[in-house]
Amino acid sequence: MHIPDGFLTPPVWATLDILAVPCVGILTRRAQRATDESKLPLLGVLGAFVFAAQMINFPVGPGVSGHLVGGTLLAATLGPAPATVVMTAIIALQALVFQDGGILCLGANVFNMAIAGVLAGYLPYRLLSKRKSLALFSGAFLSVLVSACLALAELLSSGVKMPSGILGVSLGFFVVSALIEGGITVAVVKAIDRLNPAWVPAPQQSPRRQTGWIAVAAIVLAVAGILFASAAPDGIEKLSSDLGIASQTKALFSTPLADYDFKALPSEWLRKAAAGLCGLALIYIACLGLERLLRRRALPEA
Amino acid sequence: MHHVLVEQWSRRASWLHRRDARGKLLALVAILIAIGTTRIDAHAALAAYALLLITALLAARLPVISILLRSASVLPFTGTFALVSWIAGDAPRAISLLEKSYLSALAALLLISTTPLPRLFAGLESLGVPRLINLTVQFLYRYLFVISEQAQHMRLASRCRSSGKNNHGTRSRFAAATGSLAVLFARSYGRAEGVHRAMLSRGFAGHFPLLAAPRFTLADGGFLTAAIASALLVRVGL
Repeated sequence: MHIPDGFLTPPVWATLDILAVPCVGILTRRAQRATDESKLPLLGVLGAFVFAAQMINFPVGPGVSGHLVGGTLLAATLGPAPATVVMTAIIALQALVFQDGGILCLGANVFNMAIAGVLAGYLPYRLLSKRKSLALFSGAFLSVLVSACLALAELLSSGVKMPSGILGVSLGFFVVSALIEGGITVAVVKAIDRLNPAWVPAPQQSPRRQTGWIAVAAIVLAVAGILFASAAPDGIEKLSSDLGIASQTKALFSTPLADYDFKALPSEWLRKAAAGLCGLALIYIACLGLERLLRRRALPEA
Repeated sequence: MHHVLVEQWSRRASWLHRRDARGKLLALVAILIAIGTTRIDAHAALAAYALLLITALLAARLPVISILLRSASVLPFTGTFALVSWIAGDAPRAISLLEKSYLSALAALLLISTTPLPRLFAGLESLGVPRLINLTVQFLYRYLFVISEQAQHMRLASRCRSSGKNNHGTRSRFAAATGSLAVLFARSYGRAEGVHRAMLSRGFAGHFPLLAAPRFTLADGGFLTAAIASALLVRVGL
């Protein structure tokens, strides 16, 4: 689902553009380290392969057919960082040359499909390296579901209204297409593996398995949370006012970021975005500190 | 393929075609931001953007009607969401979704039908897009048509083998599609290795060469200023 320009409001696309640029930068640098000069054409040609693969229809049931999206297949064959580069290239080309997806919301589309989609597809593959089929299936399933839910959440938080019936139907549709992607990915990667096992390298064993699972859980929870939050933006406030605790909490939590607002900045959305970013930075710093602390405790002799 | 036409348009000669790709890219971003931040009920401003874009199409001596029609390729997607918005009781937003996404697509199409792609990619790289991504996009575009053609040949061949009938079960047809995709992957992999050997033998220096180095002239500066000024004028004035 490529979001065209004109759908997202400026705060949404600007935030995602700001978020996507450093992510793509970091992943590109990793990809550059992982691929030598001889693999340069491979990235582009496999991108063209994914483009062309969408022409081959897979019969799924009576009258129903699907096609490959390809993020997880690329991650399994090229590795996660080069796969992100290829998916970014595909999305950019579609936006620039084929008017499929917007240019201002390129950051949003890249974030949904190339960053979140590819990483969500690769994590299970890396964690379940012993049971390859299950890993590929769940990776491809997650990848499509995460991309679609993020896109939907961005549309909803931009104020595009959807009746709950249609929302439910489209969620069901996402689940079905994610299942189809899972099935196709497993079948095709296995067939590629039979042709030449070197094309599907085994993922590097992760030494920290638990961290990976926590990351998968975090992705699932975050996506579900974003979706619910954007479908019912004032859910928590409504709950608290229903329970009558709103008047008491106002006094308790009178922080500088109260109600996600910065008084110094001129326009409202700028204030909210700045407050949100500050909040994220604070959480990030807190996590970093916690990680340092835990590591020091785990290695007392060091 | 439908894209050949846009390639031909981009190679025409006009004042707008001669402008530097960087200037046109920045002008595109300016007008897209102006369109994106316009209030959803400001129909006069949106009409003014349309007028600006059509003027630019005429100045570039491009076929206005076919470009206006081609930009409508966003409408199926937008139309679906506009319909959903309409059902949800938000008619003004439904109309603005259609207007804004159509105008944005028109602006993007104006850029690529006045700028040959090698110049566009060179411009993107000098604006800071990482080399690896830029090279990947260019390789992708070069081999897109080759590999799509290969996919179509394979589809045709499989239809010939089954004499056009679908009397096999879903399972065996699924297996056939899987097999052809794996073979297409293998061929792409082999092709990439061949491409690399050809690059080595020709002395690839890390960039696709351009016929002439891009130069940002005074006229480009004037064009960019005019584009930003008119977008700003419409955005603030109407």
